[in-house]
Amino acid sequence: MGNPLSIWNFYLRNKRKVLPVIGILALAILGVVVTDALLASARETAYATFGSYQKLILVAPRATRDQDLANPLQDSLTRLHDVQLQVDNLDGPGGITSYYNAVIALPAQVRAQLPAVQRLQIDAANARYYAARLRGDLLPLGDLIIRVQRLQTEEKAFNQLVGQLTENPSDPRPLITYLQQHQTWLQSVLPDSAQLGRLQVAVTNASADANGLQQSLQAMNRDTSTLNSAGQNIADLPLPPSPSATIDQFRTALDRLSASLGSIEQPQPGLDQLVADSARIQGTALVKRDAYSNLDINLLAGNAQFDLYGVDQPGMTQLLTIYGDRVTAGRLPRQNASEIAVSEEIARARHVGLGGKLGNTVDELDRLPDTFTVVGIIGGPTRLGVIPLDYMTQHYLFERRYQGLIVVPQPGHEQAVHDQLQRLVGNQAFRLFDWPYIKAKIDSLIANLDSINRFLILLVTLVLSLVVGLLNNLFFRQRMNEFGLLAAIGYSRWGLIRRVALESFGVTVAAWLLGIGVAVAVLSWFNATFMVPHGLLMNVFDWNVLALHTLPIPLMVFLFGMGTVGWQLLRLDPISIIERRD
Amino acid sequence: MLSAQDLALDYRTGSAVAHAVDTVSLSVERGSFVGLIGPSGSGKSSLMYLLSGLKRPDRGAVRFEDYDFASLPGARLMRLRRERFGFVFQQHFLVNYLTAFENVMVGAVRRNHETAAYAQALLRRVGMGDKLQKRPYQLSIGERQRVAVARALVHRPAVVFADEPTASLDQATGHEVVNLLAEYRRSGGGSLLVVTHDPAMLTGADRVLQMRDGRLIAA
Repeated sequence: MGNPLSIWNFYLRNKRKVLPVIGILALAILGVVVTDALLASARETAYATFGSYQKLILVAPRATRDQDLANPLQDSLTRLHDVQLQVDNLDGPGGITSYYNAVIALPAQVRAQLPAVQRLQIDAANARYYAARLRGDLLPLGDLIIRVQRLQTEEKAFNQLVGQLTENPSDPRPLITYLQQHQTWLQSVLPDSAQLGRLQVAVTNASADANGLQQSLQAMNRDTSTLNSAGQNIADLPLPPSPSATIDQFRTALDRLSASLGSIEQPQPGLDQLVADSARIQGTALVKRDAYSNLDINLLAGNAQFDLYGVDQPGMTQLLTIYGDRVTAGRLPRQNASEIAVSEEIARARHVGLGGKLGNTVDELDRLPDTFTVVGIIGGPTRLGVIPLDYMTQHYLFERRYQGLIVVPQPGHEQAVHDQLQRLVGNQAFRLFDWPYIKAKIDSLIANLDSINRFLILLVTLVLSLVVGLLNNLFFRQRMNEFGLLAAIGYSRWGLIRRVALESFGVTVAAWLLGIGVAVAVLSWFNATFMVPHGLLMNVFDWNVLALHTLPIPLMVFLFGMGTVGWQLLRLDPISIIERRD
Repeated sequence: MLSAQDLALDYRTGSAVAHAVDTVSLSVERGSFVGLIGPSGSGKSSLMYLLSGLKRPDRGAVRFEDYDFASLPGARLMRLRRERFGFVFQQHFLVNYLTAFENVMVGAVRRNHETAAYAQALLRRVGMGDKLQKRPYQLSIGERQRVAVARALVHRPAVVFADEPTASLDQATGHEVVNLLAEYRRSGGGSLLVVTHDPAMLTGADRVLQMRDGRLIAA
């Protein structure tokens, strides 16, 4: 004969009261597990995505280099603007076109008798042709010049605002308003790699056309001298425009601009020496020049850039060997080809397979110039992406300054190699990216989300404790007669408390297990249908998440519920219940 | 068997003191049926609480067999109440989610087949043999009170305390309930102390004590 007051009997006979409480708690635990698991997934996926840094050190130029700070591009464009106006004058009134018109206006019999006049006519036509071309070349330059002038104007306005802020530091509103209003425009003014590429082409063309114009003008001068020396002055023929200093200045300005573009596009000075010196560091397993680039991928916690290593072909094989990875499908990229081999998780994240396309024509956030074809899928413990060094460094859209080197220390020599590299880099405009740095960055990013998550768990726990505690109390009040009677007929107070504690404990444990069970099911489904197809990592059975992080909810709910009910049971006066006449 | 000597219980409200029980002495012999009668507020229920150990007196002593309540710790007094006393109150106080049979078993000290058989026999004797598995809300008020009587008797108590057991019942059902208790006493089960304001319910009592203003005025 069982105990009619056993907790099983209680649960079975009070299903309609117990199940909603279990449901609410289980839902809350499900919520906590899911958010926690997603957070853990974000961290683990980020670790895995940047896992290659666990074995290598990337030595890369600083984001802002000395030559960028000097802003030679802006300086060159300002100078170019001054001389561009003079070049325009060459084609204006009294310029090449007027001269050309004067030459072709000579009577036909004069032109026929004087071969020098015919040459003059040909040279004038050439000069006119080059002047027209030069005007066309100047259009993109002019556009950039206007931007630079605008930037200079804005700089003045900005300096004024800074002055105001200095005078009145407590009111940064004008500056903030200015930045808010001009943020988008300021970003558009800064030349990107595509603009730089187009500018480079315009400068090259302008330089060639300026050269042609200069030669044509010199030829015209020679022709005029020949006519004069032959004593055959022709009335009304004006003097040809002088090739003069204008063109020379213009070409000088163009050369400076070209040099500026070149300096921006050049690798950091000293890179070759750094590669050579790094290779001599004791304890290195691999040192390779690297044209690094990256792919835009979703890490759940937000978008991130997956680093690609632009190395030569032996370097690709060596990297795979070092990480224990292998090509599971296809092959490694060929020399000087727009090809990429990438880990299968990254390929999944970007929804590409063999033959798939990546690059900034596919996703503008990819720092891969134009389009790359996926020719290899890499499998193994570490996520890698490799691209050919030579193709990258020769592509006009690749910012050549983004060249550095990768150094793989031998196991056990990580710190020593790091220190040596740091000494080598010294005050040069390079910096080291290694695993401790990357991990700290990831942790810092996740830490904010972690704080929000902890706050939410705390909030959920408190609210649930209050809600379930309230429900417990309501339920307890409904059972007051039962406890009053039991106390009156001799059931001990602590026995009653123990019984209620067991009931609450059973409910919270059941809710906890149910919540975890449902959470595992939901996470498994989510993992299979979303996470894995997107190359994201999720440990469905992370007991740290399932058990440890969810424990505060049942614990708090139990303690709070029991605290209030236990207190009432201790103060329970059975006579007051017996004497109630309701 | 159960005796009280100079029992007193005061209720204090601020500086005012009400003597709910005022120097009462009495004894309940083994197997006797004692009726305690009096108007509302006369102190009869309070006296019953003192005699059953539900309350401790301000003064005086209660003895049951060899036990002096004053020297018994709370837990021991509770166990004594659980094992040796049976209670019937004005309301049935049945546990809602238990059947009639299970409600009776709530009063059992030892839960074994013999007790279960006895519980069923008790329920049959009180006319509830066909309603063992019914829940309280499926029973009439009189039936619930009969289940409460069976619950009070299932552990064969030495003393049954019944506090206004018929107050919420009609006359006929009230008599039935008191007769059931009296039958337990007659069959050698134990003593019976019935508190009521209705003298008609005490026709079979060996002794009827009357209370007024906390004092016994007739014995």
